[in-house]
Amino acid sequence: MKRLFRIGYLSRVEGEMGITAEIRDGQVTVRAGVFEAPRFFEAFLKGRPYSDVADFTARICGICPVAYQMSAVHAIETIFGVEVEEPIRKLRRLLYCGEWIESHALHIYLLQGPDFYGAESAWSKREYLPIAQRGLSFKKLGNRILTILGGRPIHPLSVKVGGFYKVPDKKTLTDLLSELETAHEESLKSIQWAARLPFNDTAWEREYISLRHPGEYPMNHGHICSSKGLDATMDEFFGQIREHQVDYSTALHTGIKEQNAIRSYIVGPLARVNLNMDRLPQEIRNTMKECGIQLPITNSHRGIIARSIELAYAFGEAIRIIKAYEMPDMPSVDFNPRAGEATWITEAPRGMLIHRYELDNGGYVKSCTLIPPTSQNLAQMEGDLHDFIQSHIRGLPQEGEREDRQKLRSLHFLFGPPCGAALIGREKTRNARRPRHARERCPERPWPCGPLGTYL
Amino acid sequence: MKRPRIGVFKFTSCDGCQLSVLNLEKELLNLVGLFEIAYFREATDKPLRGHFDIALVEGSLTTERQRSHIIEVRERTRYLVTIGACATSGGLQALRNWASIEEYKQLVYPSPEMIETLPCSTPISDYVYVDYELWGCPINGDELSEALGSFLLEKKPGVPGYSLCMECKRKGVPCLLIAKAEPCLGPVTRAGCGVLCPSLKRPCYGCFGPKEGANIDSLLDVFRKAGLSQHECSLLLDKMNTFAYRKARTAEGRP
Repeated sequence: MKRLFRIGYLSRVEGEMGITAEIRDGQVTVRAGVFEAPRFFEAFLKGRPYSDVADFTARICGICPVAYQMSAVHAIETIFGVEVEEPIRKLRRLLYCGEWIESHALHIYLLQGPDFYGAESAWSKREYLPIAQRGLSFKKLGNRILTILGGRPIHPLSVKVGGFYKVPDKKTLTDLLSELETAHEESLKSIQWAARLPFNDTAWEREYISLRHPGEYPMNHGHICSSKGLDATMDEFFGQIREHQVDYSTALHTGIKEQNAIRSYIVGPLARVNLNMDRLPQEIRNTMKECGIQLPITNSHRGIIARSIELAYAFGEAIRIIKAYEMPDMPSVDFNPRAGEATWITEAPRGMLIHRYELDNGGYVKSCTLIPPTSQNLAQMEGDLHDFIQSHIRGLPQEGEREDRQKLRSLHFLFGPPCGAALIGREKTRNARRPRHARERCPERPWPCGPLGTYL
Repeated sequence: MKRPRIGVFKFTSCDGCQLSVLNLEKELLNLVGLFEIAYFREATDKPLRGHFDIALVEGSLTTERQRSHIIEVRERTRYLVTIGACATSGGLQALRNWASIEEYKQLVYPSPEMIETLPCSTPISDYVYVDYELWGCPINGDELSEALGSFLLEKKPGVPGYSLCMECKRKGVPCLLIAKAEPCLGPVTRAGCGVLCPSLKRPCYGCFGPKEGANIDSLLDVFRKAGLSQHECSLLLDKMNTFAYRKARTAEGRP
């Protein structure tokens, strides 16, 4: 006996992805396929000058362009032996705060949030509107930071190898302070809101990996560490991972090489919060205590809590950076291009973004590898879904019950919180020419919105 | 009054231009009051149903599946508007148009034979009739508002076709090309970004594509006099709007 559950096209995620679960004789096979059309960034970057790399790679993801710019310029600066000055380092961190705010606010309030209210979008239910409005005002402020530093929120254009094209004066930044402080207060309260959402009680045993830095919550710098004791430099880590291809996805899967297998892992806000709790400022730790948030969080459904924590962190950090900011004399440092190879990893809103470049003497790209967070999470995601469906197999509708919406609905209750995740599902039968539409609430959406629109 | 139905469709792209719709932020909630967002995968669960008064189409066409999908979208739509460089001119991924797709596949994928893709990335208008094009990588949110507002007022959107230089002069930004001999694409590039790069003392790199009647070769002559090689000149044009700039050069008669 074979049954196939298929979600053809996940909604409220960035990029194009579908999930198929096949149950044959009680055995579950899950395939998370990305069908985003390939764009071949790694191919056309070959032969391009180093100065194009940040602008080009930014175009990989419209939600997290800064992440691509950051990983790119840091890798190239490592090859050229460039050290930027402290104010520039801080401004880049501020730029990243802007992106974390924009991206987390989008993810929490417009993509994942509506699930908990049984809404099909952020604006479809009256009771959700005030929450959506709060999210949009956070997002707007994140975009303001990006616009001040980078000219525009999507594909900002001020970042270059060696620093910035132009840096803002102190006044322009301090003008933001009062709004940022209000938003910071609000975002701390929002952690409480997130912690009280109705979650399922699944817990997964898996390996979380993120950057870790001796003095700060990780963004642009640090070494790689994991919940299972891995400790490596960026170069070492790049040597330990392997990308492999599956026939149902245009996104490669990435895992850690082992003797006969590839070990999957998870990156992203959950990994960062779990591994860097001690780098969070006191006010956030106090709020977490008040809300009864205990670490580690091992349920991806609760990723929204980790994102809310980081949203508040990014507001607080932006305030600290702006208060201490002194405009540097020069927006960038001089350097000479030279040949070399380097790996750099930064923390994109959705997790570690790995870039490796090999440049020739003139600074032209000889080869490159770009590994987005999604491709690192895909394998683990399939594994988790597999375990989840396997353990709830008895709750699945039986053959012949296809049209029984009530049954499907009860399935949603099993899978997720009462308001469950809303995905448009199609239960596909082999002979049916046109599968009938069934609104199916699926296993929750634990990993929505990886930047699937990746280099692919 | 029945609200006009909007559909937002994605093809090969980074999602940035769709995000510009969500980036309207405070205006977004007004937007959903004025229009019915009837299909928008990135933001709502609504299935693809019925007809649309406006389709906002993001991304270029790079697979067979997309070619049939865009025809379906066209059939369901009154006004089809492309948003951004990918949909309007093929995008950065159109760099494959000047290379071998087999080589590209081999460079990126361990098993290139599994990958189905077309050898060229083409703008939407190469396949179906496009009513209106919004340029930019990404588009400017104000131009999007203007286009949507114009629909409600039943007028043609007033989006400029002249060069960035006009905008630059109006803003009083010093000319990088003349004062510093920097290779700025402003003279041949469509206005619309709000002079972002020159304001940051950075030469324009062509997010908004060629302006109407752009004289590209004459600009490249200036670049060459300033010391750029032929190769460096073509690298400048081969970015997000590579297909459009190359077409504009051919139209001038000097490919």
